Amino acid sequence: MSVDEFDPAIERLFARAPSFADSAQFEAGVAAKLSKTSRFRTVALSVAGLVGGVIAVREVLNVDFNFASSSVSASAGSQPVTQGLTMAGVDGGMAVQSLLDRLGVTGLDMSSMGGMQLFWATAGVLVALLAAGVVKLSQEI
Amino acid sequence: MAKPLRDLHDVELAALSAAGGRREFGELVRRHSPAVRGLLRRMGAQPALADDVAQDAFLLAFEKCAEFRGEGTFGAWIKRIAARLYLKRRSKDARYVAEIENDEVAPHVDSAGRMDLDEAMKGLTEPERLCVSLCHGAGLSHPEIAAAINLPLGTVKSHVKRGLDKLRARLQPEPVAHGSASHVG
Repeated sequence: MSVDEFDPAIERLFARAPSFADSAQFEAGVAAKLSKTSRFRTVALSVAGLVGGVIAVREVLNVDFNFASSSVSASAGSQPVTQGLTMAGVDGGMAVQSLLDRLGVTGLDMSSMGGMQLFWATAGVLVALLAAGVVKLSQEI
Repeated sequence: MAKPLRDLHDVELAALSAAGGRREFGELVRRHSPAVRGLLRRMGAQPALADDVAQDAFLLAFEKCAEFRGEGTFGAWIKRIAARLYLKRRSKDARYVAEIENDEVAPHVDSAGRMDLDEAMKGLTEPERLCVSLCHGAGLSHPEIAAAINLPLGTVKSHVKRGLDKLRARLQPEPVAHGSASHVG
């Protein structure tokens, strides 16, 4: 703004906010829209987390089954990559088993299919809890 | 003990809002909504549209509260957001321009022959009204206005100058027979 355009009287008039009779209604409208946006975000994140968690757990369980089924062919030496993954899975299972032993839960046999499924189901629950935490965090931010 | 919301500075309220404080943001809305709503009306928005855009501006401000660092005032920041939102909405829907052009009502003058700012603004052409309110209401510089409404800088300056001249003329009281002095504001 150039100096000749500056007019203190006009500046004062612009700076003065008009009063509105329906101010409370306007403020309530903003609060309602904020709540609506937050609810929508919560629902969207929850659904996405749930769907993602279910898919992740299902895929992980599928991979586990594939390990079991491919172990036969892997033993023939035809699929070295799958064999490596199988070994990694077995190592992981043994590590978890050793952790469980140290925690005093020796009755849970991780080498059996039921034990592994329980392990992955627990992992799924942890994923779901994590997703819930993210949703809660998103509400706070 | 926590200070009451009304005792907190805008910058403090904005920081608390950025952390998700809706009550704190509600206080900011209470403090600044009249100015934002007034600005949008002065820019030429119809009341319903002005309120709609003002609400959207506050929602956007809530999302972006963390970006407000307190370099300027919160009022100026939210008014800029609202002004830009209105311009975006206006450019999307040309019918708002038609509404503005039909917005001719008889000006209201007080007993001293003075017109209030909102009435005086109605006597400006639409570009003058936009440029003057963006400059003096939203605090945008001439180059910022030129960029926002896609007009040459010189044209913006002319609109602001002509608009202000008209406002000065309209805001002055009518000359009366006994020649009493008067002033605006």
